[in-house]
Amino acid sequence: MSRKINTPFGVIRIERRAAYPRHIAVLTTLLAVLLAFLAVAIILVLIGIDFTAAFTLIVESFTKPELMLNSVKQAIPICLSALGLGIAFKMNFWNIGAEGQIYVGMIASTGVVLLHAYYGLFDEHVLLPLMFLTSFALGGLWCLLPAFLKAKMNVNEILTTLMLNYVAILLVDYLIHGPWRDPGGYGFPLSIKFPDYAKLLFLFGDTAYTGLLMAILGAAAAYLIMDHSKLGFEIKVVGQNLNVARYSGIDVSKVIMFGAFIAGGLAGIGGLSIVSGIIGRLRPRASPGYGYTAIIVAALAGLNPWLIVLASIFFGGLLTAGDVLQASMNIPKTVIQMMQAIIFLFILMGEVFKRYRIVFEGKSGGDMP
Amino acid sequence: MIDWIESVLHITVQMGTLYLLASLGEIYAERSGILNLGLEGMMIMGAALSFIFTLAYGHFAAIIISIAAGILMSLVLAVMAIHMRLNQVVAGLAITMLGLGLSGFLAFPDIRKNILLSLNPALPEQALMTQEAPKLPEISIPLLSNIPIIGRAFFHHNVLVYVSYIAALVMWFILFKTRIGLSLRSVGEDPATADSLGVNVFLVRYLATVISGGFAGLAGAYLFIGFHPFWQEGMTAGKGFIALALVILSTWNPLRAVLGAYLFGGIDTVQYRLQLFGLGAQSPYFLAMLPYLITIITLILISFENLRKRIGVPKSLGIPYSREQD
Repeated sequence: MSRKINTPFGVIRIERRAAYPRHIAVLTTLLAVLLAFLAVAIILVLIGIDFTAAFTLIVESFTKPELMLNSVKQAIPICLSALGLGIAFKMNFWNIGAEGQIYVGMIASTGVVLLHAYYGLFDEHVLLPLMFLTSFALGGLWCLLPAFLKAKMNVNEILTTLMLNYVAILLVDYLIHGPWRDPGGYGFPLSIKFPDYAKLLFLFGDTAYTGLLMAILGAAAAYLIMDHSKLGFEIKVVGQNLNVARYSGIDVSKVIMFGAFIAGGLAGIGGLSIVSGIIGRLRPRASPGYGYTAIIVAALAGLNPWLIVLASIFFGGLLTAGDVLQASMNIPKTVIQMMQAIIFLFILMGEVFKRYRIVFEGKSGGDMP
Repeated sequence: MIDWIESVLHITVQMGTLYLLASLGEIYAERSGILNLGLEGMMIMGAALSFIFTLAYGHFAAIIISIAAGILMSLVLAVMAIHMRLNQVVAGLAITMLGLGLSGFLAFPDIRKNILLSLNPALPEQALMTQEAPKLPEISIPLLSNIPIIGRAFFHHNVLVYVSYIAALVMWFILFKTRIGLSLRSVGEDPATADSLGVNVFLVRYLATVISGGFAGLAGAYLFIGFHPFWQEGMTAGKGFIALALVILSTWNPLRAVLGAYLFGGIDTVQYRLQLFGLGAQSPYFLAMLPYLITIITLILISFENLRKRIGVPKSLGIPYSREQD
């Protein structure tokens, strides 16, 4: 399959590649990030902002230790959600509902804390494990519903997962403006503060280290599931060719539902990492779109779990940089959101270079179509 | 009581127009097989640009620029979805993210001030600092606006509301009663057959996507200068996705979209009214969920094969077309 384009300088042929060479993938990804930085630099210059100062600040948020810790903190929910998305996207289940799954994860873990605080249920020591369990379960169920609808009734999961995001966000709004509002909080829409034993402090007493451990364990789990388990194998087959999967006796709908449950569960734990890590309580709109950033991270990392950890720390760093830029240079932190979107667009466009190869044939003359 | 009904209907139409404008274009895109998930991003860009350009050059320039921005963004989507044959959902989502980031950046006070000064150096200091812009004037249609109850509700609005009435009718007519509409629907149904019958699949898809972008930009302009002329970062707040939901609820029919738009607009209005009266402090959140839940239910309903056939769901929605066999 090839297409020829005649130009005054010779013939350019666009050929379909037989395989995705790894170095091309790495190169296009790096190029995407570089081009995005360049595009943002151009925009900043056009507006009349000293972009060298801005970029120095961005670099500092990766080199200064105290900023780095903040970056890692912000990276945790992104990383866990992206690990889940990595599994979902591998089976062509286009879950864009990580944001909603994060929110129900927050509901689950806050619910457990409130049951403990208000009614004295559960021992201090089982509280955190229970929070992990419930937020995984509820996040998983939130993703299982669209997976069930897709597997059994062929309902488009893109739209259902997207719609469920808003349902989850509004559910948190309701809870926090209503029954879950801190009675001693002067009417502010906030839950009570989580006690220390319900927070992610079990490694060096710091959320960033604890979160990093969780991210690495999450990546290991995702790696084991995808590369060393029957489920992972079946997920890959389902993603590559649905018909092959059916003929080889794989229960496709079961695989989709299992995979989606795990994906949603990981995002649910991402929600836990926000309320019991970053914030320490529940408040409305607690996630500034981590679930959407996770989609970019999963794409940037090519769905590889270990690269997802790295990519999410990079994006956590960018988010931190956004806060610093706004605070010290009065550059809106939306500039980071913009940069992330541009990175995303370039990565997507880079897909084309992974799929096709451009061959320059020079002036051949005789070879006309 | 009649006053109250009148004003609720009036706001319902105002809210509904926002959804209607955005979903009319999206109906065309989806009928041609392109799912434009960049709607939200194009809308917010329309809102931000109409804010800036209304201050600098007035309403007309603002509307034109907003439409142009929507078209430009949809062209990016079109190239990615049609020529590069990338995943439309992901591409659209990227466009939405870009719109949310870029609009927040451009309309940020300090940045906006720089832009305004370079657009129109003669602007007074007050215009550089404000978060507001003048709203589009409301025009009463003579005679019609005197009809009791519905007169004011439907015929005392700004010009963009009347544009939405006409657009819905015209776009319905083109889609179902003309050759162009038939080509558009055939491309979304079965592009290979349409291609073999001489329809230019790529051109039709490009045009349909661009139309959806233009309308999304217009909807954004309406949101700002026609409805709520006070800038807030991310002020579309998912309304673009509600418009996307409305397309499904309307089963890709511009006239049914009118009904759906006012249904969703009505839900919004009642929600604000309830908050105003302090009726059930919690109920607004559940009411606000309704559009999303209604959409999920609609999606489930149209998954039944015979219902699907009767409604005519575009069969090739979201599937890239290429002449090569692969």
